[in-house]
Amino acid sequence: MAAVLPRLPERHRAPPKPALLWTLGVAALASCAMTVVLALSEDLYQPALRVLLVIWTTLPFIFAGIVAWRRRPDSAFGPLLILAGFVHQLSILQWTSQPLLHTVGQLCDLLVVAIWLHVFLAYPTGRLAGRTERAVVITAYVAAVGLQIVVLMLGGFDDRHLLTVAEQPAAAEAVQNVELLLLSALVLTGVVLLWRRWRLLPRWQRRRPAQIVINCFSLTLVMLAGLLIAGAFQLPGFEIIRLATFAVAGLAPLAFLAGLLDARLAKAGVGELLVQLQASPAPDLRELLAGALRDPTLSLIYWLPKYGSWVDQDGNPAALPEPVGGRAVTLVKQNGEQVAALVYDATLGEEPELVEAVSAAAAIALENGRLEAELRARLQELHGSRTRVVEAQQNERRRLERDLHDGAQQRLVALALELGVLAEQADGDPATKTRLKRARGEVAQSLNELRDVARGLHPAVVSGHGLAIALESLIAVTPLEVELKVDGLPRLPEHLEVAAYYVVSESLTNATKHAQASQVTVDVRVADKTLIAEVVDDGSGGADSERGTGLRGLADRVEALNGRLKIWSVAGHGTRVRAEIPCG
Amino acid sequence: MRVAIAEDSVLLREGVAQLLTDAGIEVTARCGTADELLAHVAHDPTDAVVVDIRLPPTHTDEGMQAALTIRQRYPDVGVLVLSQYVEVGLAMRLLADSAEGVGYLLKDRVSEVKEFIAALRRVADGGSALDPTIVSTMLKRHRSSDPLDSLTPREREVLELMATGASNAGIADSMVITQRAAEKYVSTIFTKLGIPATGSESRRVLAVLLFLRS
Repeated sequence: MAAVLPRLPERHRAPPKPALLWTLGVAALASCAMTVVLALSEDLYQPALRVLLVIWTTLPFIFAGIVAWRRRPDSAFGPLLILAGFVHQLSILQWTSQPLLHTVGQLCDLLVVAIWLHVFLAYPTGRLAGRTERAVVITAYVAAVGLQIVVLMLGGFDDRHLLTVAEQPAAAEAVQNVELLLLSALVLTGVVLLWRRWRLLPRWQRRRPAQIVINCFSLTLVMLAGLLIAGAFQLPGFEIIRLATFAVAGLAPLAFLAGLLDARLAKAGVGELLVQLQASPAPDLRELLAGALRDPTLSLIYWLPKYGSWVDQDGNPAALPEPVGGRAVTLVKQNGEQVAALVYDATLGEEPELVEAVSAAAAIALENGRLEAELRARLQELHGSRTRVVEAQQNERRRLERDLHDGAQQRLVALALELGVLAEQADGDPATKTRLKRARGEVAQSLNELRDVARGLHPAVVSGHGLAIALESLIAVTPLEVELKVDGLPRLPEHLEVAAYYVVSESLTNATKHAQASQVTVDVRVADKTLIAEVVDDGSGGADSERGTGLRGLADRVEALNGRLKIWSVAGHGTRVRAEIPCG
Repeated sequence: MRVAIAEDSVLLREGVAQLLTDAGIEVTARCGTADELLAHVAHDPTDAVVVDIRLPPTHTDEGMQAALTIRQRYPDVGVLVLSQYVEVGLAMRLLADSAEGVGYLLKDRVSEVKEFIAALRRVADGGSALDPTIVSTMLKRHRSSDPLDSLTPREREVLELMATGASNAGIADSMVITQRAAEKYVSTIFTKLGIPATGSESRRVLAVLLFLRS
């Protein structure tokens, strides 16, 4: 079984005790019962409709809040929803004539508006993210409670409350209108803030279905603002707007809950993940995990204990990112040893169980993935060591050629010169002169042989004067019709030029010796940051890189430079050798 | 005649300097690097320079670059390039514009004292000196329906000498024939190969070279 060690920012708050949640649920039902009692005992206009509206807009808040609190104990959003429900319940106390309860009810009347605004802006964490959000919500609370107190002190509404200090109906009405308009302005500001926040979400989050539903419910705020304005100007149709607003508002908590528990829905994706893992023998694990966690930015790295380092899926060294900058990391362990790490968008960090479930489901596949990554890392290492071997060999050969050139060859030339001068000066004795000349000839012969050895070690003309000149020299001594295309060939790093030189040289040798070709085209150019050397002959074909060491050696040399050697050689149809070596 | 030498091997540099001095040629500078040679020629254009193709600091093409620079800036200074290897590609490069006042020889040729001095004098006088191995390697390429096949062995010998920059007198001398006979060979070869006859000896070097390369 896989054990998962999440490294997440800020976790974990303990989930609330079930007893507390049960109590809250019972209290919600009780307060609904109280609403019914109140409506029946007081003389209300349309009591049934009003009771229904209150229950419709409180119970969903409280019960959605209870579920959210239990499932997302880290988020303060659940408690906030519950609070919003109960505040709305309190506001109906204004139905009673009992002075104290009526006063409390009046105070909570517009508090409902402020707390709804708070709920919308605090989704999904339960906290207000920005300074502007905080300022808007605090102002709304102050206006909803503070200005309401002023209205009541001025004797606003009716005479059943306890706060009347002076009877100033005109002033009371004016302050109440200010209060309503200010609240509606704040609510509309909240809509703008929500829109701005949505724009800043990553693309994939913007398109989440739950997010789209939540965006739709933001319209509730617009309706609420309309309701407040209608109240301030005593517009006709106030009652209808109120009905519509409350009808929609009652559904909003369900949208929030769906958004919060979206990850729960994703757990169905875990099952799907298991099916996909079994269906495909070699799945692209990153793709599957990204799908299951619905984070396309997810990346997957493996821990290779033999190398003591992290690598990506291709075996390239990778670094484990710190859990900052919007990325979160979860280490996946197997038998107490770390196997892999998932790096994902930090907003997923609010859904640790999901990440745990997904990584547990993929544990076996992750172990396989790690073995594969290790294999790739080893292949790369092997490739790297082949590159080093080829490079070391080439460096050694160049050094030997240089030593011969600067040492033995120079000395032999000096010796030949000395013998030549002596032969010139020994004019008296013909026998001596002859022997000196013969000695000089021997030295010249040694020099010729040494030259062949040195040239075989390393094509100095390539390093010294470039591929174009070297190839021109090469074809000048090739007994075939050769068309050479090297126009515009730039100077390139020595090891590339030497490799291309050998490709052409070996191919020309094969064309001459084995293929009985009569015409050859040599085309060397740079295209798309690739050095391309192509030799096409009209000989007998049938060359094979696996037979004979010549072509195999060439392939090694080219592959060591991350290049490719391709050979097309069909018996009777000539041979095409093409080397492509990256040179960007 | 005044000559400057650029060669990084002290042994060889002094050997060549001695050789030239013994032949009555004034050695005006003995340089170890291409830059020294360029500075010297700028200050005192000599009749000719003898330059090693591989010189410090990288021992790649510093000597070659110096030779090309001198040929371009000081057309009157003959340039004789020495190398452990002769490459057709480099010969083509050196002779790209003209074969006048330029030579390209294997280093070993210094031991054939008389021939070397003669080649140097020819280059200083605006003639050419191309190593025989260049011509012989090019001649070794056997191609089908090659006009070279129509040459007699004697004519091939004359062609090789001609390509090294030898004058008609030089050809006559080497082959122990009269100068008149040498001239006749030359014109026959030109006709057989279809090369337009040219007056200057260095021009015909280039013509032969281009013919052989094509």
